[in-house]
Amino acid sequence: MSLSDLVLSIADNKQMLGLRYAEWATRAPSLEADIAAAAMGLDDLGHSRVLYGCLEPLGADPRGPDRESDPASLRALPYFDKPWSEWAEFVAANAILDTAFTAMIESCVNGSVEVLQHRLRKMLMEERYHFLHGRSWLKSGINAEPLERAWHEAIEWFGPPDGDVAVLHHEGKLSLGPQELRARLEEQLEMKSPDIRVDWKGWDPVRRRIKPGAIDERTFGMLRGLEEKKFAPSSATKEA
Amino acid sequence: MASAADAAKYAADLGYVTRYKRVSGDAVEYEVFARKTRAEPLHQVGSVVAPDDDLAMAYARATYDEERWCEMAIVRKEHVIELWQPGEVS
Repeated sequence: MSLSDLVLSIADNKQMLGLRYAEWATRAPSLEADIAAAAMGLDDLGHSRVLYGCLEPLGADPRGPDRESDPASLRALPYFDKPWSEWAEFVAANAILDTAFTAMIESCVNGSVEVLQHRLRKMLMEERYHFLHGRSWLKSGINAEPLERAWHEAIEWFGPPDGDVAVLHHEGKLSLGPQELRARLEEQLEMKSPDIRVDWKGWDPVRRRIKPGAIDERTFGMLRGLEEKKFAPSSATKEA
Repeated sequence: MASAADAAKYAADLGYVTRYKRVSGDAVEYEVFARKTRAEPLHQVGSVVAPDDDLAMAYARATYDEERWCEMAIVRKEHVIELWQPGEVS
């Protein structure tokens, strides 16, 4: 997989993270947490747009026409396949997955590819507040299941020890390889990851995940603007 | 679903000890200060309620992000020493 494939994976995951955050903008445990969910959602949707914009300068845009019809063509993690039903899922994504994506962005910014060095740097500043939010809620204690799932998917997403991320690291395009990314995540969160053994034989290098499946139909419709059309006046629908 | 005790044990095993419960008694009020340019002084733009400094920073940034502030700071309200209040004679 190329650097463009990896950037597309970050973009798709950030887009889904932003959407799932936004779904909690009126359901979080406090008004401040509602506002934070909305703000972080906006940030991550904005980050995904910047990342999509990097694909052309990188020289190869891996997005195909199937992205309009096949939800499984999107490269988001299984964690985002369905809306989160409990706050603990939000917190685990915020603390573990958001920080994992930030570690990868940091690796791009400190790598040798100029377009990524310049365009992604501002994200790191904004992500600082996502991290503080996630870590603080994590410290208050959450259910084990989503936390373990998030750790597992983060490590899967970094990829196998000899996979594409390791190669890009050796080439200098990324400043961190999979092991270093995992260590960085542990260092940031001030905790050891659970004892996770990934069976890389079943790993999909394009979607950076093992579990099959895709995002739910409603979310896929929303991404393509189909949900919006449901609320459009009938005359506007005809004109469109 | 895991019980609260399981969750606390898991968090402790991973190096986290639950240090507070998220109840209103633990919430702290923070005053938020900001300024748009170096030339103007910091002024109070609002307040947030959070159980710790990290979350208060995240909340302040999310809540009062409507302007392009060049500086933002938060202070625990309990750390503000009042000399006099409205209606009192200085």
